[in-house]
Amino acid sequence: MTMDHARGESVDFASFDDLVESLARWSGSLPDWAPARKVRTEWEQIEPRLDRARRELTRMLVVGVIGGTGTGKSTLVNALAGCDLSPAGDIARPTTINPVVVAASDVDLSWLPIDAMNARVVRTDAAAVANIVLVDCPDPDTQTESGQGSGQVPHSHPRPSDSNHNRDILEAVLPACDVLLLVSTAQKYRSWVVAREVAAFAPGRPLLFVQTHASRDPDIRDDWRRELESQGFVVPQIFRLDGVEAATRTAAGLEPAAGFRELVDAIDVELVGRAARRVRRTGSLDLAGWFLRQSREILAPLREPVAQLSAGVASENRRLEGILSRSVASRLRASRADWQRILTSEIVERWHGGPFAGFLHVVESISAFWPRMRAAGSGLISRLLSGQTASPLSEGQAGWQAVEELGLSAAEVEQSRSVLCGLSARARLAEPLVGRARLDESRVATTVSTLLERTAAWLATGIDRLVAERRGRIDGPVFRWVCEALFSGLVVAVLVRAGWNFFIGHLWQGRVVDGGGFLQEAFVWVILWGFFLRWIAFARVRVGLDSDIQSLVARLPEAHLTAPLLADFAAAADATGRFIEQGDDLVRDHESLVAHLAEPAGGLGRLRGESP
Amino acid sequence: MASFHRTGFSAWAGSIEELCGLIDALRPLASSLGAPNPQDEDWYGALFGKLRPQVSREPVLVAAVCGGTNTGKSLITNTLVAAEISRSVPEAARTRHPVASLPQGLASRADLAALFPGFSLAPWASVQDAIDLGPDATGNADRLVWREDASGRQPARLVLLDTPDIDGTLRENWHRAELVRNACDVIVAVLTQQKYNDAAVRNFFAAAAAAGKAVVVVFNMIDWPRQRDRIGGWLATFTAETGVAPLAVYAVPHDFRAAEAGRIEFHPLSELTPDGASVDLAVRLADCDFDRIKLRAMEGALRVVLDNEAGANAWLDSFETSAKEWREARRLLTDEARVRVELPTAPREIVWNEIWRWLEPRRSGLDLTVSKVYRVAGKGVNWAARRVGLVRSEAERREDFSVVELAALKTALGDFIERLDDACRRNPRLAAMLDARLVEGDRAAWYADLERRHAGLPLVSEDYRVFVRNELDRFAKENPALVRFILTGLNVGAVARPAITVALGMAGAAAVPAAAASAGGLSVLVHHVGDVVVGTAATIAGEGALGLTMAGLKPLIERLFAGWSAERSRVLAETLHDVVLGDRLEEIDRLANAAAAPEVTRARQLLRDFGRELGPKVAAAEGREVSQ
Repeated sequence: MTMDHARGESVDFASFDDLVESLARWSGSLPDWAPARKVRTEWEQIEPRLDRARRELTRMLVVGVIGGTGTGKSTLVNALAGCDLSPAGDIARPTTINPVVVAASDVDLSWLPIDAMNARVVRTDAAAVANIVLVDCPDPDTQTESGQGSGQVPHSHPRPSDSNHNRDILEAVLPACDVLLLVSTAQKYRSWVVAREVAAFAPGRPLLFVQTHASRDPDIRDDWRRELESQGFVVPQIFRLDGVEAATRTAAGLEPAAGFRELVDAIDVELVGRAARRVRRTGSLDLAGWFLRQSREILAPLREPVAQLSAGVASENRRLEGILSRSVASRLRASRADWQRILTSEIVERWHGGPFAGFLHVVESISAFWPRMRAAGSGLISRLLSGQTASPLSEGQAGWQAVEELGLSAAEVEQSRSVLCGLSARARLAEPLVGRARLDESRVATTVSTLLERTAAWLATGIDRLVAERRGRIDGPVFRWVCEALFSGLVVAVLVRAGWNFFIGHLWQGRVVDGGGFLQEAFVWVILWGFFLRWIAFARVRVGLDSDIQSLVARLPEAHLTAPLLADFAAAADATGRFIEQGDDLVRDHESLVAHLAEPAGGLGRLRGESP
Repeated sequence: MASFHRTGFSAWAGSIEELCGLIDALRPLASSLGAPNPQDEDWYGALFGKLRPQVSREPVLVAAVCGGTNTGKSLITNTLVAAEISRSVPEAARTRHPVASLPQGLASRADLAALFPGFSLAPWASVQDAIDLGPDATGNADRLVWREDASGRQPARLVLLDTPDIDGTLRENWHRAELVRNACDVIVAVLTQQKYNDAAVRNFFAAAAAAGKAVVVVFNMIDWPRQRDRIGGWLATFTAETGVAPLAVYAVPHDFRAAEAGRIEFHPLSELTPDGASVDLAVRLADCDFDRIKLRAMEGALRVVLDNEAGANAWLDSFETSAKEWREARRLLTDEARVRVELPTAPREIVWNEIWRWLEPRRSGLDLTVSKVYRVAGKGVNWAARRVGLVRSEAERREDFSVVELAALKTALGDFIERLDDACRRNPRLAAMLDARLVEGDRAAWYADLERRHAGLPLVSEDYRVFVRNELDRFAKENPALVRFILTGLNVGAVARPAITVALGMAGAAAVPAAAASAGGLSVLVHHVGDVVVGTAATIAGEGALGLTMAGLKPLIERLFAGWSAERSRVLAETLHDVVLGDRLEEIDRLANAAAAPEVTRARQLLRDFGRELGPKVAAAEGREVSQ
């Protein structure tokens, strides 16, 4: 039974260790993002506590007795310790200045930072504190608030309270405490300063609530419970006792009064032995939960901006792609001469061995002598069309110039980047996660060359495919044979007519030979016929080019060509979105762990998840 | 009593009223400057809660019972007025609203709302009022419940108040207690052995002491008589901490049963009371020297207002400090926020046409004919060139120009925003002012606005026509001989590529201000004068008479081109001004000039006057009272 229990416990701790490890990794995973840094800072504050709780799983609990001045903290500590260890009374407020640590005589306190706490150690053999360490803390409410709070008159002459640092001392002591024992009275249970201090140290620390001065004050426990619950505490029980009376009874060897006995029993049941481990474990889980809630609060206002940035990156990419595809399309369409040349050479190169093929070659070689009226443009598209795909990069170094050839101006890119800069600022993203609106020279060189490379590659493939598809139209033997037949037909007809004229007309019928006149005429017709056929062939290749270009360009967004221009924003949006998501995952992990480890809270109060 | 009226502070009523008006008028400015909210300051409470309502009114003495939660304030008040006006309950912090017990007839004589500024008044209905009352119809949650004394035993000029706590978890209770503290003359400080040295309690009463309030100390819940000899020590701590000099000290024994029955007894501690008298608390309050206490409270309030470190002057000083920072921010903006707009060279024919339009009626017949012939010939050549595709049509060229121009404007806008971003990063005040625009603003909409404005821009605006006409008129008047060369000059030398700067600056410099620029303030400006890239053709053709002519013409031509380009850049300036920055520039101006606001000067003047008169006047008034 106990073995099983221990094993179960260790399994639980293993999964808790996993959670802690994930939290540590997550909180440090995006140090360049200010909100993530803030999460990290929060983490660094609670990590040592979680660490210590795991290391010192078996040592006894430190119970800090806190409350406003005059509520009877020291009196209660004395009553628990069974003797006057800590000065108590009504001579002067505040009574306790240095904390008093009460422990059984055989307890090793070397792990407690006694010096840092400025504490005095007192040993006792009282049964109530045999298995815990009790710390009588100074009050939080007699030290003057610095710079905060209204109604404060700066005074020039020194006052006794100037040397009062009780709250500072308290804040140095409380980190060492595992459990808080909050002492209050009818006059002090609604004190603002005490509530603030308790709220600051309650995360991960179970609490015991005690109303003192029972013999003088009315019972205010119901109202106090309401007050505590409104501050977000779970309040299973409030003890009500009279410290002075308890001390007197103990001294006189009498049976303690009911309220005091309940408190002593609760300490024994809730804080000692196995219960201590449970307290530590729930405390650690609560602390981790508290950290996750804090992180969520830090990240909550950024969810929307990060989503907006993501959407912004997508829409700006769309905008740039739209500009790019429009201008690429118009440039492709405008490069008629280049298309003509490309298709001509395609046809000519693939058409051999026939009179018409011969004709085409002759025309091609003659036109090669013809000075080109419109020299091939120097733009990327013209170069691509004229087959010089080899190195668009050589000019990529020139920066925007090369991109502007594609019709995407630096101004448009900067507009997109500027818009995204604004969205990034909203998501509190800054350099180095995202760049500036205006890219510096080196970044221009790299992004532009990537863009050009990708565009060139994409376009080259697209054009090749387009050309290949068109090539197929005239590659068919039927079309070729028809062309060859039509061309040869005229040539043959001319030759036959010439032969007829000579042999039949001249030699046979004796008509006068009309010289080369007919042949010259026929030659012109043959050439014209050849050009006509050539036009037909080209037309067959060219028809529907515009719509093909359109459909080619329509596929441009799929290639995400402009992505490199906005890559830093996209990456930042991804990283921050992932960070937020991982945080949500961890919250779920934590919740399931809590559900798994759920144990009855017993008589200990604790800070609930969310305040109502 | 009458002497108070004549010689007291009532003579200053006008000045106090004026000062209050000035302070109120300055509050919006203060909050935009980041100066502290005066309502959180003691001097404000003294001025608005004490001096203004009481300086010229019937001198009633206001006594308030103040203290921490659950110290028995309500019980003590009820005992003092000999009636249950405020419910006394065991739970802490339940009295949430002050309850005033007025002498008979005061409600009809005096304006109660003026007597308790900041509160919404409600006539007393039951003892639950102080616990249950919600906000009034206007949403003011600070209610004050009042009731006239039914027995008629309350002295005619004494107002008694039960107040909420000063240290509980409900901060609005503190605020109400502070409002009451400001308005009252006498405070009955309820202390207990648990609370006499709490920081919150000390703060509250230290402020009361500094404001010259008379204080009567009541130690409640005393374990009587065991703790009687402790009280001296507690009181010494309390007075040393707060500076309170109590008029009298009382002890109230702890008696739970008596308290439940509403009966408590006050033990005068004559050994701790300055005059050594053992007088019942109610009697002491009824018998105290109203005028003297009143005068002291008024003087104290004025001293708080005049305090050098924490008074109204310090608040006004913070104006100067912040305004200085705002001037610094403004300087940073004018230094940093300027961009060069790389506009394309203006299409020559646009300027040419405008000049032609001006020249036409002035030229001789022959000249005109020759020029017309040239124009027609030129058009013919252009037409032919267009047909063969060597020259793009005018519409196409305009389109090209427009695209390049829009790109230039967008680049400039992007630059400008980036510069603003940088300036904000360097100056937190600017960031606070502009982040709402730069970070929260929809930048895509800014660019859309620029595109829209650019698309709607006429090629030649009426403003530009006027500008050209004026320039040419002026030139013609100064150089009548050169007029006929203008066209030549235009043809030869006018390839100026104007460098236009769009900047944030102080208007009044040589500039074409944006449409909505405020005179003398910070605004978006378009600069071009003296910042023109000179055309190169002039030097090529710089021979003989023509060269000389060119020298005279050059500035004119440049100005005409630059003027056109500046006109074009105005859309950018307008977008920046209307859409990107909005009213932020005017706001920065206002803040930078805050310290020089006439209200500040006048308020300082009034404070100086008060300071000069305070000493002798009070002394004289007190002297007269003593002699009475």
